[in-house]
Amino acid sequence: MSTDELDPLIHVPARLKIVATLAALPDGDTLSFTRLQDIIGLTPGNLIVHLRKLEEANYISSEKTRNVTTVALTAPGRKAFGAYTQALRDLLGGL
Amino acid sequence: MNHAPDAAAPGNGGAFDPQEAAALLDQTARQARRQLQPSPPWLLATRAVMVLAALGAIWLSVRGQHPYRGPTAADIPVLVAFIVVNFALTVGVRHRAMAGVQGRSRFTQPEIAVMVVAWIVTIVAILVLAAAGVSYSHYPTTLLIMPGLAWAAVSGARAGWRRSATGLAVAAVGVAGLFAGSAGAWLVAAVGLCAIFIVRAAINARQRRASRP
Repeated sequence: MSTDELDPLIHVPARLKIVATLAALPDGDTLSFTRLQDIIGLTPGNLIVHLRKLEEANYISSEKTRNVTTVALTAPGRKAFGAYTQALRDLLGGL
Repeated sequence: MNHAPDAAAPGNGGAFDPQEAAALLDQTARQARRQLQPSPPWLLATRAVMVLAALGAIWLSVRGQHPYRGPTAADIPVLVAFIVVNFALTVGVRHRAMAGVQGRSRFTQPEIAVMVVAWIVTIVAILVLAAAGVSYSHYPTTLLIMPGLAWAAVSGARAGWRRSATGLAVAAVGVAGLFAGSAGAWLVAAVGLCAIFIVRAAINARQRRASRP
Protein backbone atom coordinates (compact mmCIF):
# COMPACT_ATOMS: atom_id res chain seq x y z
CA MET A 1 0.00 0.00 0.00
CA SER A 2 1.30 3.50 -0.86
CA THR A 3 0.48 7.07 0.13
CA ASP A 4 -1.44 7.35 -3.16
CA GLU A 5 -4.26 5.54 -1.38
CA LEU A 6 -4.70 8.49 0.96
CA ASP A 7 -7.36 10.93 -0.22
CA PRO A 8 -5.27 13.90 -1.43
CA LEU A 9 -8.05 16.29 -0.54
CA ILE A 10 -7.79 15.36 3.14
CA HIS A 11 -4.09 14.48 3.18
CA VAL A 12 -3.03 18.09 3.71
CA PRO A 13 -2.24 19.29 7.25
CA ALA A 14 -4.71 22.18 7.31
CA ARG A 15 -7.58 20.21 5.78
CA LEU A 16 -6.88 17.18 7.93
CA LYS A 17 -7.24 19.42 10.99
CA ILE A 18 -10.50 20.88 9.65
CA VAL A 19 -12.04 17.50 8.87
CA ALA A 20 -10.84 15.88 12.13
CA THR A 21 -12.27 18.78 14.14
CA LEU A 22 -15.65 18.68 12.39
CA ALA A 23 -15.75 14.89 12.77
CA ALA A 24 -15.60 15.35 16.55
CA LEU A 25 -19.03 16.99 16.44
CA PRO A 26 -22.09 14.75 16.78
CA ASP A 27 -24.03 14.15 13.57
CA GLY A 28 -26.43 17.05 12.94
CA ASP A 29 -24.31 19.70 14.65
CA THR A 30 -22.59 22.61 12.94
CA LEU A 31 -19.65 24.75 14.02
CA SER A 32 -19.21 28.47 13.47
CA PHE A 33 -16.35 29.66 11.27
CA THR A 34 -14.83 31.67 14.13
CA ARG A 35 -14.91 28.77 16.60
CA LEU A 36 -13.36 26.44 14.01
CA GLN A 37 -10.66 29.02 13.36
CA ASP A 38 -10.10 29.35 17.10
CA ILE A 39 -9.71 25.59 17.58
CA ILE A 40 -7.38 24.85 14.68
CA GLY A 41 -5.47 28.15 14.65
CA LEU A 42 -5.53 29.03 10.95
CA THR A 43 -5.80 32.56 9.59
CA PRO A 44 -9.26 33.42 8.18
CA GLY A 45 -7.93 33.63 4.62
CA ASN A 46 -6.20 30.29 4.86
CA LEU A 47 -9.22 28.65 6.41
CA ILE A 48 -11.53 29.98 3.69
CA VAL A 49 -9.30 28.55 0.95
CA HIS A 50 -9.33 25.08 2.48
CA LEU A 51 -13.03 25.15 3.34
CA ARG A 52 -13.82 26.07 -0.24
CA LYS A 53 -11.90 23.04 -1.53
CA LEU A 54 -13.66 20.75 0.88
CA GLU A 55 -17.03 22.24 -0.01
CA GLU A 56 -16.39 21.84 -3.75
CA ALA A 57 -15.84 18.13 -3.08
CA ASN A 58 -19.06 18.02 -1.02
CA TYR A 59 -17.08 16.96 2.07
CA ILE A 60 -18.44 19.88 4.07
CA SER A 61 -21.46 22.15 3.87
CA SER A 62 -21.60 25.77 4.94
CA GLU A 63 -24.44 28.09 5.73
CA LYS A 64 -24.51 31.80 6.39
CA THR A 65 -27.23 33.20 8.64
CA ARG A 66 -27.23 36.65 10.27
CA ASN A 67 -23.50 37.24 9.72
CA VAL A 68 -22.59 33.86 11.20
CA THR A 69 -21.12 31.24 8.90
CA THR A 70 -21.43 27.68 10.12
CA VAL A 71 -19.81 24.58 8.66
CA ALA A 72 -20.45 20.88 9.08
CA LEU A 73 -19.14 17.63 7.75
CA THR A 74 -21.51 16.09 5.17
CA ALA A 75 -22.28 12.38 4.99
CA PRO A 76 -19.85 11.91 2.05
CA GLY A 77 -17.27 13.92 4.04
CA ARG A 78 -17.67 11.68 7.08
CA LYS A 79 -17.38 8.62 4.85
CA ALA A 80 -14.25 9.99 3.16
CA PHE A 81 -12.70 10.79 6.54
CA GLY A 82 -13.44 7.23 7.71
CA ALA A 83 -11.84 5.84 4.57
CA TYR A 84 -8.83 8.13 5.03
CA THR A 85 -8.23 7.06 8.65
CA GLN A 86 -8.60 3.40 7.66
CA ALA A 87 -6.15 3.84 4.79
CA LEU A 88 -3.72 5.61 7.11
CA ARG A 89 -4.05 2.82 9.66
CA ASP A 90 -3.45 0.16 6.98
CA LEU A 91 -0.50 2.07 5.64
CA LEU A 92 1.18 2.50 9.02
CA GLY A 93 0.40 -1.08 9.97
CA GLY A 94 2.16 -2.18 6.82
CA LEU A 95 5.26 -0.07 7.36
CA MET B 1 -8.72 8.80 -5.51
CA ASN B 2 -10.57 11.47 -7.47
CA HIS B 3 -8.85 14.63 -6.38
CA ALA B 4 -5.57 16.01 -7.56
CA PRO B 5 -3.10 16.91 -4.83
CA ASP B 6 -2.57 20.64 -4.41
CA ALA B 7 0.88 20.99 -2.94
CA ALA B 8 0.84 24.73 -3.53
CA ALA B 9 -2.16 25.32 -1.30
CA PRO B 10 -1.46 27.36 1.82
CA GLY B 11 -0.73 25.24 4.84
CA ASN B 12 0.35 22.23 2.82
CA GLY B 13 4.00 22.41 3.80
CA GLY B 14 5.14 20.14 0.96
CA ALA B 15 5.36 16.36 1.44
CA PHE B 16 3.19 15.08 4.25
CA ASP B 17 4.49 11.90 5.77
CA PRO B 18 1.81 9.33 6.83
CA GLN B 19 3.30 9.14 10.32
CA GLU B 20 3.12 12.91 10.65
CA ALA B 21 -0.46 12.73 9.40
CA ALA B 22 -1.34 10.09 12.02
CA ALA B 23 0.23 12.19 14.78
CA LEU B 24 -1.54 15.35 13.61
CA LEU B 25 -4.83 13.48 13.31
CA ASP B 26 -4.54 12.08 16.82
CA GLN B 27 -3.57 15.44 18.30
CA THR B 28 -6.34 17.34 16.47
CA ALA B 29 -9.04 14.81 17.32
CA ARG B 30 -7.99 14.80 20.96
CA GLN B 31 -7.98 18.62 21.09
CA ALA B 32 -11.37 18.87 19.35
CA ARG B 33 -12.99 16.35 21.69
CA ARG B 34 -11.54 18.12 24.72
CA GLN B 35 -12.80 21.50 23.57
CA LEU B 36 -16.20 20.45 22.25
CA GLN B 37 -17.36 17.97 24.90
CA PRO B 38 -19.99 19.60 27.16
CA SER B 39 -19.64 16.95 29.91
CA PRO B 40 -15.99 15.91 30.02
CA PRO B 41 -15.05 13.02 32.33
CA TRP B 42 -13.05 15.31 34.65
CA LEU B 43 -16.13 17.48 35.23
CA LEU B 44 -18.31 14.47 36.04
CA ALA B 45 -15.65 13.06 38.37
CA THR B 46 -15.38 16.44 40.12
CA ARG B 47 -19.14 16.57 40.56
CA ALA B 48 -19.06 13.02 41.96
CA VAL B 49 -16.53 14.03 44.60
CA MET B 50 -18.36 17.26 45.40
CA VAL B 51 -21.76 15.61 45.84
CA LEU B 52 -20.31 12.87 48.03
CA ALA B 53 -18.43 15.36 50.20
CA ALA B 54 -21.28 17.89 50.56
CA LEU B 55 -24.24 15.56 51.07
CA GLY B 56 -22.11 13.06 53.00
CA ALA B 57 -21.06 15.82 55.42
CA ILE B 58 -24.71 16.72 55.98
CA TRP B 59 -25.58 13.05 56.59
CA LEU B 60 -22.80 12.87 59.20
CA SER B 61 -24.25 15.87 61.02
CA VAL B 62 -27.92 14.76 60.94
CA ARG B 63 -27.59 11.01 61.50
CA GLY B 64 -27.45 11.41 65.28
CA GLN B 65 -30.53 13.62 65.51
CA HIS B 66 -33.42 12.15 67.49
CA PRO B 67 -35.90 13.48 66.56
CA TYR B 68 -34.75 14.57 63.12
CA ARG B 69 -34.46 18.36 62.84
CA GLY B 70 -32.73 18.64 59.47
CA PRO B 71 -29.42 20.21 58.44
CA THR B 72 -27.88 22.50 61.04
CA ALA B 73 -26.97 26.15 60.48
CA ALA B 74 -23.39 25.03 59.85
CA ASP B 75 -24.56 22.67 57.08
CA ILE B 76 -26.44 25.30 55.09
CA PRO B 77 -23.31 27.08 53.75
CA VAL B 78 -21.91 23.69 52.67
CA LEU B 79 -25.12 22.88 50.82
CA VAL B 80 -25.36 26.33 49.22
CA ALA B 81 -21.66 26.26 48.23
CA PHE B 82 -22.13 22.82 46.67
CA ILE B 83 -25.15 23.96 44.64
CA VAL B 84 -23.50 27.20 43.49
CA VAL B 85 -20.12 25.66 42.58
CA ASN B 86 -21.71 22.67 40.88
CA PHE B 87 -24.07 24.88 38.87
CA ALA B 88 -21.38 27.40 37.92
CA LEU B 89 -18.90 24.70 36.90
CA THR B 90 -21.43 22.78 34.84
CA VAL B 91 -22.87 25.83 33.09
CA GLY B 92 -19.40 27.35 32.55
CA VAL B 93 -17.93 24.23 30.94
CA ARG B 94 -21.03 23.64 28.82
CA HIS B 95 -21.16 27.27 27.71
CA ARG B 96 -17.51 27.18 26.61
CA ALA B 97 -17.85 23.83 24.85
CA MET B 98 -21.02 24.80 23.00
CA ALA B 99 -19.79 28.23 21.83
CA GLY B 100 -20.29 28.34 18.07
CA VAL B 101 -22.01 24.93 18.03
CA GLN B 102 -25.51 24.71 16.63
CA GLY B 103 -27.77 21.76 15.99
CA ARG B 104 -29.03 18.73 17.85
CA SER B 105 -26.67 19.01 20.82
CA ARG B 106 -28.25 22.28 21.88
CA PHE B 107 -31.36 22.13 24.03
CA THR B 108 -34.46 23.55 22.37
CA GLN B 109 -36.76 26.03 24.09
CA PRO B 110 -39.48 23.39 24.74
CA GLU B 111 -36.89 21.05 26.30
CA ILE B 112 -35.65 23.80 28.60
CA ALA B 113 -39.28 24.64 29.45
CA VAL B 114 -40.00 21.01 30.42
CA MET B 115 -37.03 20.99 32.84
CA VAL B 116 -37.98 24.36 34.37
CA VAL B 117 -41.61 23.26 34.82
CA ALA B 118 -40.42 19.99 36.41
CA TRP B 119 -38.45 21.92 39.02
CA ILE B 120 -41.31 24.35 39.68
CA VAL B 121 -43.81 21.47 40.06
CA THR B 122 -41.39 19.68 42.39
CA ILE B 123 -40.92 22.70 44.64
CA VAL B 124 -44.67 23.42 44.75
CA ALA B 125 -45.44 19.74 45.48
CA ILE B 126 -42.87 19.65 48.28
CA LEU B 127 -44.30 22.83 49.83
CA VAL B 128 -47.82 21.36 49.67
CA LEU B 129 -46.63 18.07 51.20
CA ALA B 130 -44.74 19.94 53.92
CA ALA B 131 -47.86 21.98 54.76
CA ALA B 132 -49.79 18.70 55.00
CA GLY B 133 -47.18 17.33 57.39
CA VAL B 134 -45.91 14.58 55.09
CA SER B 135 -42.46 13.46 56.24
CA TYR B 136 -41.20 12.75 52.70
CA SER B 137 -41.29 16.46 51.97
CA HIS B 138 -38.18 16.91 54.18
CA TYR B 139 -36.17 14.26 52.33
CA PRO B 140 -33.51 15.64 49.98
CA THR B 141 -34.06 12.73 47.62
CA THR B 142 -37.71 13.72 47.04
CA LEU B 143 -36.35 16.66 45.06
CA LEU B 144 -34.73 14.30 42.55
CA ILE B 145 -37.74 12.28 41.40
CA MET B 146 -39.61 14.71 39.15
CA PRO B 147 -36.58 16.42 37.52
CA GLY B 148 -35.00 12.98 37.00
CA LEU B 149 -38.10 11.75 35.17
CA ALA B 150 -38.32 14.99 33.17
CA TRP B 151 -34.67 14.62 32.14
CA ALA B 152 -35.30 11.01 31.13
CA ALA B 153 -38.32 12.06 29.04
CA VAL B 154 -36.49 14.94 27.33
CA SER B 155 -33.46 12.73 26.61
CA GLY B 156 -35.58 9.85 25.40
CA ALA B 157 -37.40 12.18 23.00
CA ARG B 158 -34.11 13.24 21.43
CA ALA B 159 -32.96 9.59 21.26
CA GLY B 160 -30.20 10.00 23.79
CA TRP B 161 -30.73 6.70 25.60
CA ARG B 162 -27.66 7.22 27.78
CA ARG B 163 -28.92 10.53 29.12
CA SER B 164 -32.36 9.00 29.46
CA ALA B 165 -30.87 6.24 31.61
CA THR B 166 -29.14 8.90 33.70
CA GLY B 167 -32.47 10.64 34.35
CA LEU B 168 -34.10 7.35 35.33
CA ALA B 169 -31.18 6.58 37.65
CA VAL B 170 -31.56 9.99 39.34
CA ALA B 171 -35.30 9.34 39.79
CA ALA B 172 -34.49 5.86 41.18
CA VAL B 173 -32.15 7.42 43.74
CA GLY B 174 -35.03 9.72 44.68
CA VAL B 175 -37.39 6.78 45.16
CA ALA B 176 -34.77 4.79 47.11
CA GLY B 177 -34.40 7.73 49.47
CA LEU B 178 -38.08 7.45 50.43
CA PHE B 179 -37.26 4.16 52.18
CA ALA B 180 -34.13 5.41 53.94
CA GLY B 181 -35.66 7.73 56.53
CA SER B 182 -35.01 11.44 57.04
CA ALA B 183 -31.30 11.20 57.84
CA GLY B 184 -30.61 8.15 55.66
CA ALA B 185 -32.00 9.96 52.60
CA TRP B 186 -28.94 12.27 52.69
CA LEU B 187 -26.65 9.25 52.49
CA VAL B 188 -28.70 7.72 49.69
CA ALA B 189 -28.51 11.02 47.75
CA ALA B 190 -24.74 11.33 48.35
CA VAL B 191 -23.86 7.79 47.35
CA GLY B 192 -26.47 7.47 44.59
CA LEU B 193 -25.60 10.70 42.80
CA CYS B 194 -21.86 10.07 43.25
CA ALA B 195 -22.26 6.65 41.63
CA ILE B 196 -24.25 8.11 38.72
CA PHE B 197 -21.57 10.75 38.04
CA ILE B 198 -18.78 8.17 38.22
CA VAL B 199 -20.56 5.82 35.81
CA ARG B 200 -21.23 8.73 33.41
CA ALA B 201 -17.58 9.80 33.63
CA ALA B 202 -16.42 6.25 32.87
CA ILE B 203 -18.82 5.96 29.91
CA ASN B 204 -17.73 9.32 28.48
CA ALA B 205 -14.06 8.43 28.91
CA ARG B 206 -14.59 5.11 27.16
CA GLN B 207 -16.50 6.82 24.36
CA ARG B 208 -13.62 9.24 23.90
CA ARG B 209 -11.14 6.41 23.56
CA ALA B 210 -13.43 4.51 21.20
CA SER B 211 -13.92 7.54 18.92
CA ARG B 212 -10.20 7.99 18.34
CA PRO B 213 -9.50 7.87 14.64
